[in-house]
Amino acid sequence: MNDFTITPYLERARAMTRRHLLSRTGLGIGSMALASMLAGERAGAAVASAPVNPLAPRKPFYPAKAKAVIYLHMAGAPSQVELFDYKPALEKFNGQPCPKEYLEGKRFAFIRGVPNMLAAQFKFNRVGQSGQYVSSLLPHFSSMIDDVAVIRSMHTDQFNHAPGQLYVQTGNPRLGYPAMGSWVTYGLGSENADLPGFVVLLSGGKTPDGGKSLWGSGFLPTVYQGVQCRTTGDPVLYLSNPNGMDRKLRRQTLDALRDLNEMQHKAVGDPETITRIAQYELAYRMQMSVPEVMDISKEPAHVLEMYGAKPGYVSAAESAEDPRALHKGDDPTFANNCVLARRLVESGVRFVQLYDWGWDHHANAANESIDVMLPIKAAQVDRAIAGLIRDLKQRGLLESTLIVWGAEFGRTPMMQNNTENNSKLKPGFIGRDHHPHGYTMWIAGGGTRGGVAYGSTDEIGYYPAENPVEIHDLQATILHLLGLDPYKFHVAHQGLKERLIGPTDHPDIISGIVA
Amino acid sequence: MSHPLVRSILIVGAAALMIAVASPTQGDPTKPAAPAAGKHWAFVPPLRPQPPAVRDAAWVRSPIDRFVLAKLEADNLNPSPEADRYTLIRRLSLDLTGLPPTPAEADAFANDTAADAYEKVVDRLLASPRYGEHWARVWLDLARYADTQGYEKDNHRDMWAYRDWVIAALNADMPFDRFTLEQIAGDLLPDANDSTRLATAFHRNTMTNTEGGTDDEEYRGYAVKDRVDTTLQVWMGLTAACAKCHSHKYDPISIEEYYRFYAYFNQTGDHDGYHDDPRAQLRSPIVHANINEKEAELAALRTELGAMGERLADQRRKWEATLASAKPVWLTLIPQSATSAEGATLTPGPDGAVLASGKAVKSDTYTIVASLGRDDLKQPITAIRLEALTDPSLDKQGPGRKAADPNYVVNTFEVVAEALDAAGKPIAAAAPAPIKLANARADFSQNGWPVAGAIDDDPKTGWAISPQFSRSHVAVFDLAEPWSPPADAASVRLTVAIRQLYGDWLVIGKARLSVSTSAPASLSPVVGEDPVAIARVPEAKRTPQQWTEINDAFLAQHADTSAKRQRAATLEAEIEAATKGLPATPVMVELPPERQRKTRIHNRGNFLDPGEFVTPALPAALHPMPEGAPENRLGVARWLTARNNPLTARVAVNRIWARLFGIGIVETEEDFGTQGIAPTNQPLLDYLAVEYMDAHGWSQKKLLRAIVTSATYRQSGAMTPASAAADPFNQRLARGPRFRLSAEQVRDQALAVSGLLSAKMGGPSVMPPQPEGVWRTVYNGANWKTPDNEDRYRRGLYTYWRRTSPYPSMINFDAGSGEVCLIRRIRTNTPLQALVLMNDPVYVEAASALAARSIRDGGADARSRIAHAFRLVLIRPPTDAELLRLTALHAAALAEFRSDSEAAGELLAAGRAKPAAGVDPADLAAFSTLANVLLNLDEAVTKP
Repeated sequence: MNDFTITPYLERARAMTRRHLLSRTGLGIGSMALASMLAGERAGAAVASAPVNPLAPRKPFYPAKAKAVIYLHMAGAPSQVELFDYKPALEKFNGQPCPKEYLEGKRFAFIRGVPNMLAAQFKFNRVGQSGQYVSSLLPHFSSMIDDVAVIRSMHTDQFNHAPGQLYVQTGNPRLGYPAMGSWVTYGLGSENADLPGFVVLLSGGKTPDGGKSLWGSGFLPTVYQGVQCRTTGDPVLYLSNPNGMDRKLRRQTLDALRDLNEMQHKAVGDPETITRIAQYELAYRMQMSVPEVMDISKEPAHVLEMYGAKPGYVSAAESAEDPRALHKGDDPTFANNCVLARRLVESGVRFVQLYDWGWDHHANAANESIDVMLPIKAAQVDRAIAGLIRDLKQRGLLESTLIVWGAEFGRTPMMQNNTENNSKLKPGFIGRDHHPHGYTMWIAGGGTRGGVAYGSTDEIGYYPAENPVEIHDLQATILHLLGLDPYKFHVAHQGLKERLIGPTDHPDIISGIVA
Repeated sequence: MSHPLVRSILIVGAAALMIAVASPTQGDPTKPAAPAAGKHWAFVPPLRPQPPAVRDAAWVRSPIDRFVLAKLEADNLNPSPEADRYTLIRRLSLDLTGLPPTPAEADAFANDTAADAYEKVVDRLLASPRYGEHWARVWLDLARYADTQGYEKDNHRDMWAYRDWVIAALNADMPFDRFTLEQIAGDLLPDANDSTRLATAFHRNTMTNTEGGTDDEEYRGYAVKDRVDTTLQVWMGLTAACAKCHSHKYDPISIEEYYRFYAYFNQTGDHDGYHDDPRAQLRSPIVHANINEKEAELAALRTELGAMGERLADQRRKWEATLASAKPVWLTLIPQSATSAEGATLTPGPDGAVLASGKAVKSDTYTIVASLGRDDLKQPITAIRLEALTDPSLDKQGPGRKAADPNYVVNTFEVVAEALDAAGKPIAAAAPAPIKLANARADFSQNGWPVAGAIDDDPKTGWAISPQFSRSHVAVFDLAEPWSPPADAASVRLTVAIRQLYGDWLVIGKARLSVSTSAPASLSPVVGEDPVAIARVPEAKRTPQQWTEINDAFLAQHADTSAKRQRAATLEAEIEAATKGLPATPVMVELPPERQRKTRIHNRGNFLDPGEFVTPALPAALHPMPEGAPENRLGVARWLTARNNPLTARVAVNRIWARLFGIGIVETEEDFGTQGIAPTNQPLLDYLAVEYMDAHGWSQKKLLRAIVTSATYRQSGAMTPASAAADPFNQRLARGPRFRLSAEQVRDQALAVSGLLSAKMGGPSVMPPQPEGVWRTVYNGANWKTPDNEDRYRRGLYTYWRRTSPYPSMINFDAGSGEVCLIRRIRTNTPLQALVLMNDPVYVEAASALAARSIRDGGADARSRIAHAFRLVLIRPPTDAELLRLTALHAAALAEFRSDSEAAGELLAAGRAKPAAGVDPADLAAFSTLANVLLNLDEAVTKP
């Protein structure tokens, strides 16, 4: 039973943040209702706090295996030519001018004139039962290949970072649309009343190009926006009491606050006051539960080892004036975030979004290049990702957790040629430009098939050759795997039926990867 | 081609309009005027309904109440009693100024027995400068105001002068039709000035994408679409966004009509450029108001000095006579011909100046030919001078021709001299001689564009003068060798070529040439004609400029005027200094006719898939262009506030109503179309709309006064479980408004009641405390730096707004990101809001300041101090039970901090509080804890 398509769900959600449902559910108003709400903890909270909590769990449109999503976004766009899309023909054409038909009518960010083809800079191995080609830069990931569905035929119509990221994450290249995580928590709520339903974790020392709009709630209520949890400072903004106020005193202030608010409610009778009391209690619980879940130091050593995580590591990039200079090297922040992602999903968080910055290897400057930076970035994520898949699998959570890996686009099979340095094969200056026409993403768990190689590109890896997958197809598939009918799931906004997958019904669910 | 459905709506619509006009029935006021079949209510212009009769006429204070009460009575509901005076003054103050009253103001009102006590408060609040600040924030949501460009780099943009314009316009109660006109087309108005040009920044709040490799034309197109969508949404409550891809499903705008309307907005000079050009250095009406005052004083002084020149005409003539015998330093070249290589019109004036007009040209070469007689050349020519002069016909007076940016670049300045015989024929023996120039100097050269560039061999270098517009400039070039014509020459013909090749319309608007035979060292680049030369011009033939200059020169040597002249010079210097740092605000600049774009439909909204060419036109189903209105943005602006526009006034009054009552009469403020929610009380809406246009003359203050003095507004907001359940959003208005304050009000109130709030108005946006590491964006080195002065405590609307990383605590309270037009904020109630008020340093500091203030002013014992703090925040006196509960908390906290003085010290440090002499730090910490509770109260963050 679902009324997503019947009533403007936005109106309903708004009402739920207010008093409307409080009375509708028959709980009545006043301190009795409040008492029962506050009594609800963990599992029980799902029912007891439903009237005041717009993040209360809701049933999907239809039964689904995936309950949660961990989305690993490699901001800047890693090279699929080096990592996933093995093209022997590129060896043959290496150094030759790119055929004209690939350039005519195309727009590039930096490439000018006729660039030369560029072979993969690192070796590929055939791995797993499925015998897929994967880069030698990803040995740990290779060991998990049979749990993963690799899509080598992705394409997008955005070739700049900010619009590209917005398109992947919000379904629209422009600002002002809800993030996928907002849509999903809006549709399904969250399983843990003491934690945000949509959590964002950053590594690589920088916010991604699209900024915080990537986890904004757009025209959905702000309660559905992503909450950035940080590994330094307050894990959630404003979470810590000011110095000098301990938890006991905070409790005393909240007791007084509740008593006074109840007096106010008695005098004025506004149900919103009751909601506010409940939200203060939730805030108080979050002050405990968030730091707890964010503390990975309690994980056993062998688990941390599996991810390559190092609790307590503070990236130098976090405090640098210009962290661009420091995003390199042996930084375990992404690995730590992967451990956190598992802990959050385990605690019932619906959507965990990781952004790792530092994959934009143009070679516009020395060492911001495929040959120097890609092995470093690959090492930062390889073991962590394999550890995440393995850990979830061992805990029986992979079936219910969808992992998505990818970026806003891929990189060209041609080398970039916009400066004196990167126009010839010169160590530290081997770069590729943005490539929206054909690239690779992968997806695992959550009711997808493992060991699948889906789609392919042409001889030089320029265009999809079979089973092309567009961004809205991917989004439709993710919603579908969560039990949210991508075609029906919408909100009415400014005269439009807004959907994550856009206005037309062209997007397809990628049935080839659905188990 | 328009959709068949659209055409049928159009036909039916026209019929409905005729019926509506033909039968101006005032009908049954509780029911909307019956629209003709097929005509959506909102497309029928509102008629002023007769306020209905009601049973309980004694309750009625205004016609508004009759509309409300008639509906209540029909539903067998009673209105609520009037709220008490503490509640009323708090409600009024928050609604009209965004700030709470002081307890003293509240007491004065509570004790005022005058019949018009309430109205006096209303009028005082409407006259407060705080009014404009509060209501500006409402407008800035619609204007999608922000301090950055958006997208990846999200670089800084100087937009705050526009924000100040909005504040000033609202405080001056600029009528909404004029407010509209200036923002949509202030550059095109017949009476356009700097202030109306600043207003056009409204539509420059669109985003600019400067990420490497983006297609500027693509993002320019997005910006224009944003302008179209925002215009229709803000003024007419129409959502045309879908028509940019396909013909509108529900409302009468086809894709073709969308792009025809788009064509009106497709003619401005902005192009998604890195610097948001075109920009203009314009004054904030708030922080630069004193420049205006100085200018007024200067103008008065000049008039006075001019009059003295008149009065002392005899003395001046005597003085001039002494000059007439002197030798002029500069000899003006009176042009025989002046030609533009690109076809502009060059008109020589009697003072020798050549004025450019006619065709706008990107680059140009002016060729000016003039003759000098033998008498003028008794000595060799030593130098030549080029003046670029101001003129009223030029934008900003010039001296360049380009609108908004009247700069110029002289890339090459060439002089050729020819000796002529008595018959005016060239002397065969003397070939035309190109004159070599040296030692260029100017009164001013733009950084990077020195005047020497005009006479070097490089045509890429040149002389420019930005940002010193609106004044004349002068360059002097020495001749490398002083030049004399052959002895047999009767006259000399000079041909001067001024090559201006920069290519961005940067050409001189008015030029004058002169030569000198004096020693070059004595020649400095001073603006103005030589008084000696002017003195030789008969009075009747002098230009106004010459009069000004000769008068100035005369008065300069006249002892009686020296004090006034001194003052004028001081003012000039001060104005110049203050003007130097003016922000460059992006503004709308219409392209000249020959550069206007041809608009094409973007098939499926994709600019890479252009369809048919279209000409500008209004959607056919809507009312026509007002008679005599031009077919451009100015016409659109007039059309928006035309008296027969069925929507604008309704949308505007509905917006005001929604801000006061928490929900609009039409709940979907953003959509008055067929997909929006129907009005809950259309006669009330129509009454307000017609009154707004006719009785109030589009005055927002009058409209607000009419609403807030109604009995409807003055009701108590208290509810019962039954009334809350029956009408959760108070759409029937059987009670007064009660809903959470806006993000800015929450902040401003905390700062106001704690005494921290800065009263400073306007100016660049500020950076109050924000957690470390929130700004960390790619390819943008900007930093968040919180000042240690009053800018830490400014009102929320002055907070620096970065689109991709907006101020987090206000976002938690539902403020918008400023990326696109936000018609209404959906209120939420979340734990993150609780965390902000509990722990954000802004509120920790406010709590400490409130604590210190209460200890200082609240009497001797804890109880009276607590009551004092309570009243500062909630205005009303506390009940005994409330006081008791707070006293218990204070006692508990005091005990805690007495036993842990370290914790007390930490809390005070967090709140930046220092105990005053004789104040126990533990007590201050305990009071800070208590104050924190007060600021977190549901009642505190709720408008009562």
